[in-house]
Amino acid sequence: MIPAIGLLIGVLLGLFLHPTVPLWLQPYLPIAVVAALDAVFGAFRSVLDGIFNDRIFVISFLSNVLVAAVIVFLGDQLGVGSQMSTGVVVVLTMRIFANVAAIRRHLLKA
Amino acid sequence: MGMHSAPRPARNAAEARFRLLRTLKPALSRTQAMITVLFVILGFATTSAIKSSTADSLLKNARQSDLVSVLDDLAQREARLQSEITRLESARETLLGGDQYQALNEAKRRAKALGQLAGTEPVLGSGVSITISGNLSASTLLDSIQELRDAGATSIQISDSSLDIRVVANTWFSDSANGVTVSGTALQVPITIAAIGDASVLIPALQIPGGLVDTVGSGGGSVNIANRDDINISAVVPIPVS
Repeated sequence: MIPAIGLLIGVLLGLFLHPTVPLWLQPYLPIAVVAALDAVFGAFRSVLDGIFNDRIFVISFLSNVLVAAVIVFLGDQLGVGSQMSTGVVVVLTMRIFANVAAIRRHLLKA
Repeated sequence: MGMHSAPRPARNAAEARFRLLRTLKPALSRTQAMITVLFVILGFATTSAIKSSTADSLLKNARQSDLVSVLDDLAQREARLQSEITRLESARETLLGGDQYQALNEAKRRAKALGQLAGTEPVLGSGVSITISGNLSASTLLDSIQELRDAGATSIQISDSSLDIRVVANTWFSDSANGVTVSGTALQVPITIAAIGDASVLIPALQIPGGLVDTVGSGGGSVNIANRDDINISAVVPIPVS
């Protein structure tokens, strides 16, 4: 409950402060957001599976974001930055879909 | 705290919902606080990422060919502006270097050129003379004046057998009983349009399909275009008082 309120506060802060994303961060921010969303949906699924552990969630959240950013950074250095971003986004999106499907099966048995 | 335990899937939807509600119950612990901080950052990062991707996406999302044409446009514009700079700088040199007489002459020359464009000076030069007889509507006349201007006509005059009217920026046209009204003066057909400019450009502009010759011809009238070197535009408009 408290994290959900935190999410709302973060969204409101972003809306009202009009932050400008620094140039060096611009390629990584969207990827990091998608990676974090993947961790969040994975956490929901594990709650329903009965194996949720908040320490694991914190670690998986941070490592997801970090690994995604490192992969994109590596791709930038190798000159295939945009392809690498696409690959990361595709993989993460597939995982999000799989997790949402599992959540749906749990909650609706359908 | 077992880090990895085997999944115990909820037996039914009710248990799944119970597990969800149990997790949603507020609890104060260090990891909860940490998760909250992470969610604040997630919300903030999401909104900033959305904002930054909508802000300057016009050029970022443009295709390469579009960017090339934008660049070409800018390069051409720069070349035009550069040549204008050169022209103005040489004019400045002349004005600074020359005596008062030269500056006065330059000013008179520019005043005359501007006066010809504004219609306050009579003009003599080469151009075309267009005689229109038969049915002529104000919209056809307006279209042909616009065509002449687009084709580079610098001064235009419309006359009938007795009256001459200079065409300037605020000239207006309307239909009247047996002809057209130009800026409040009724003209009887046949009327003559005199235009100063490059005849080789002006004549084709009037002969395009749907142009003056086409329209008047289909209405049963006739258009006679003559290329002359001694077009005399004598009508002037008064200098507006500002």
